[in-house]
Amino acid sequence: MGLGLRWYHFVLWAGFIAIMALMPEFVSKGTLRTIIFANFLAIFAISWDVLSGRTGYISFGHPFLIGIGAYTTAILTKRFDVPVEYAIPTAVIMTMVGGTIMFLPALRIKGSYFALVSLAFMELIYQLVQVIRPDLTGGTRGMSGLVTLTRGAVNGYYLSVTLMIIVALCMWLLMRTRLGTALSAIGMNEESVKGSGLSPTKLKLFAFMTSAFVAGLGGAFYVHYLGSIAPRALFDINFVFTIIVATLIGGASTIVGPMFGAFFLTFLLEYLRPYLPGAERYLIYGIIALLLYMYQPKGLYHIVMTQLDRFKKRADDD
Amino acid sequence: MLEIIIQGILLSGLYALIAVGFTLIFSVGRVLNLAYGSYIMVAGYIYFYFSQLLGLPPIAGLLLAGILGSCMGLLKYNLIVKPLKGDHIAVEISTLILAVVLQSTVILFFGNSAKILLPIIPGVIHIGNATVTFNVLAATVASWLILIGLYLFIKKTHIGRAMMAVSMDAKGASISGVDIDKINMITWGISGFLGAIAGVFFASYTQLSPTMWVAPLIIAIAIVIVGGIGSIIGTLVVAHIIGFMEIISVALISPQLRGVFTMLLIILVLVIRPKGLFGREEL
Repeated sequence: MGLGLRWYHFVLWAGFIAIMALMPEFVSKGTLRTIIFANFLAIFAISWDVLSGRTGYISFGHPFLIGIGAYTTAILTKRFDVPVEYAIPTAVIMTMVGGTIMFLPALRIKGSYFALVSLAFMELIYQLVQVIRPDLTGGTRGMSGLVTLTRGAVNGYYLSVTLMIIVALCMWLLMRTRLGTALSAIGMNEESVKGSGLSPTKLKLFAFMTSAFVAGLGGAFYVHYLGSIAPRALFDINFVFTIIVATLIGGASTIVGPMFGAFFLTFLLEYLRPYLPGAERYLIYGIIALLLYMYQPKGLYHIVMTQLDRFKKRADDD
Repeated sequence: MLEIIIQGILLSGLYALIAVGFTLIFSVGRVLNLAYGSYIMVAGYIYFYFSQLLGLPPIAGLLLAGILGSCMGLLKYNLIVKPLKGDHIAVEISTLILAVVLQSTVILFFGNSAKILLPIIPGVIHIGNATVTFNVLAATVASWLILIGLYLFIKKTHIGRAMMAVSMDAKGASISGVDIDKINMITWGISGFLGAIAGVFFASYTQLSPTMWVAPLIIAIAIVIVGGIGSIIGTLVVAHIIGFMEIISVALISPQLRGVFTMLLIILVLVIRPKGLFGREEL
């Protein structure tokens, strides 16, 4: 298939899936709940990575996409009594429409300017959600008492981990195809992509749609896990910050990196909780993120890989 | 009607003051300093600490906030922007992280709850049926003075012209003997100072809270994008467009729609005319 898969890829993925499947046997319910959040953060980070890590179109407004997915399914199930199995696919489609809207500015602008437009998108939807039809969206206070898909930590864990692994595996495979390479090429030099006879517009549209698909899926399941939705928590610059930092710490444009970045950061925040209960935790979190990012912008994935290479080389020399 | 005009002029003056430091960095250094909003927040808290908790006179608090803001700018340039060597995306992301770090630092010291800042200059004046506080009036006057001063500084002085040269073509300026590093340092220093002064006025206009940096940052971004790179006049004009748009939408449509038109304006301008209304050809 030209995916360049080796035996150890299968072993690593199988090992990872096995560990995640056995996790509830070993850890407490509290830890499971933390892992659930890490799983959702991983999905959002992967979604960000597909778009921004690959194509270089930095999105500061990813909650725009996640929010469309979350709000669509919340409104459909709560206000119109639509069953979840129809509401979630509709939410994903709506998010992809949202992704297309976000794609339009990317036709003309890039770099810093695109990043700012995406931020403007997020602020726009944040304010619109509160004003337009508050009877549907719940206005400033949001909605609560939504349908939840699972009961208990273990079931919630299995649902989120399954979703996360499917998303991660699909995106990982997708990014190993020629399509994934072409998306990376857009991040490096859009002109030469055009020069090699590919259409950057189509490729970008594909990246936006894929990212929106994942974001919508994650957002919809997340809202049905939480059972509530609030605009201030969702369209928040701290949320953007968490997604971006998870991706970058893990290693952008690797899919596996953001996944581990999300776990690393969620657990870092959890372990800081006994010492710093409130928002001060973000101080330590931010400083670690900043130092790591300044030291190695390619993230932990890259650091691990270079160490492995060095190790291999040393083994070969002996 | 009179009230809308007066409120519009006052708010626009404040917005111009907020945006001008951001414009400066964006024009000269070509980087988006997403931690610009945190100058505004941190300066508000510095002023609060010195003048309200320690009881120094307001003008001393204002100056101290400005000087510390300027130091923050220099530190930021030397520790973050310079090591990243002009990688714009990396600067944006690291300044965003820095903004969140500063936000949590402020929470650590001052707590999460909002604080009311006493007016810098107390008192009100009635013009027609509009009530104008001296505080906001002072912000507007300060804003105009600072903008005129900055305009003259950039047009008339040697350093100002060098800044303009760097903003147009860094390489060309460097060949002509301009020390780009020094110019960048000066720009970050001035920008920090202006951001801090704007912050004190903005904090006394709204209130102090650790998350107050997002709104002014977005306003600054909007003004710079719509106004265009390297144009102080553009900043001034667009600050008035956005200020009036907000006041009119609050007065005539709905207070909740305050920011919506600003966001729509950013998206529209970036899509239709990416170089901004007054900017040079760019991108």
